Amino acid sequence: MLRGCGRGAAAVLRGAAGSRGASGQERGPEPGRPLEPSLLRFLVCPLSKRPLRYEESTNELINEELGIAYPIIDGIPNMIPEAARTTRKRPPAEGSEQP
Amino acid sequence: MAAGLCPGRALLSRRGGALWALLGTARGRAAGPETHFGFQNVSEAERREKIYQVFENVAEKYDVMNDSMSLGIHRVWKDILVHKMNPSPGTLLVDVAGGTGDIAFRFLNYVRSVRERQLQQKLRHHQNLSWQEISKSYQEEKSNPLGDSQVVVCDINKEMLKAGKKRAQHLGYSEVVAVHAEKKHECFTIADANRSGLSWVLGNAEELPFDDDKFDVYTIAFGIRNVTRIDLALQEAYRVLKPGGRFLCLEFSHVSNPLLSRLYDLYSFQVIPVLGEVIAGDWKSYQYLVESIRRFPPQEELKAMIEDAGFLKVDYQNLNSGIVAIHSGFKL
Repeated sequence: MLRGCGRGAAAVLRGAAGSRGASGQERGPEPGRPLEPSLLRFLVCPLSKRPLRYEESTNELINEELGIAYPIIDGIPNMIPEAARTTRKRPPAEGSEQP
Repeated sequence: MAAGLCPGRALLSRRGGALWALLGTARGRAAGPETHFGFQNVSEAERREKIYQVFENVAEKYDVMNDSMSLGIHRVWKDILVHKMNPSPGTLLVDVAGGTGDIAFRFLNYVRSVRERQLQQKLRHHQNLSWQEISKSYQEEKSNPLGDSQVVVCDINKEMLKAGKKRAQHLGYSEVVAVHAEKKHECFTIADANRSGLSWVLGNAEELPFDDDKFDVYTIAFGIRNVTRIDLALQEAYRVLKPGGRFLCLEFSHVSNPLLSRLYDLYSFQVIPVLGEVIAGDWKSYQYLVESIRRFPPQEELKAMIEDAGFLKVDYQNLNSGIVAIHSGFKL
């Protein structure tokens, strides 16, 4: 069930990332709304409850330990585990985020 | 409950409701533990999916529907909740399932007016103030109108958050930040972000993306009914609250008065889905709403669940004879 969710979520994420990239170009002065720094005080990974690192280039919140990245869309961080992508080159064997 | 089911069954059978229920149970047995979606029995995964779709469909018209279904009374209920909270400036609030921001906006208004009153009192009590000191205190008010209060709105549904963010812009809650953005055109500085006091996070109430012991108040208004595992949500609420923090839950509950109960059932099952069809073009979502209210545990049961999560001094306050109830608990 989780793998199915992962596949669906991965597809959605790819779509969202695509549209985010495109609309980022046309939005003008503020490409891909940045995250409010005050939020970083509170946010942790919902799975491990460990602190996250804000990656400006990809506009994501990264959990180094588990190797997952949560996207930030329109300034709203998406902290649903199913929507996160793995940052490792090879997804882990029982990775629940990617098929 | 039986009185309520009669009009309900009439409506359900019109849409082959009995057949649906059967299909629901058949599917339910195949995938995961059984739970309910309104009067149907479904698996947990299916329930989550269906509820997500319900709110995706209604997100745009959510506020209009609330006004028409409750005849505007939902505003009073939410006002009472925030008054009960009585936040002082500097309070950190997390509003879970806060979607379109109703509680968050009321919270911000409340702390702003408390802060204004505080500053006015300060002025009044000082006998001999120079013009310099008076103007300095007016500047203080301008630069920190919220007194460092902050609210984080957390919801599982992206459409609801988007609608909420748009509403915040229309109502001017991002105004202070916008002024600075004109000058800078780039990332907001930490000072600017703090001033708007409002942030939005996409997250699951059963698995909050927040650290332990962070918030002064946790609210969930008309949202806990839609959570699949209420016990998990309550445990998460306990975790993210600071010691001394308060849990507040505003939710539809059970009416004990039999006459009122009949009238309420009549209104719920005959009028609300029709309103849903006419205004939002969505009968099924509002049928779900009404059914989910009937399935939700009554006041005492919810109180016991909150106590199980570790909260103390748990109590509830009925509004409108139990149509709505505010449950409150403390992490001590």
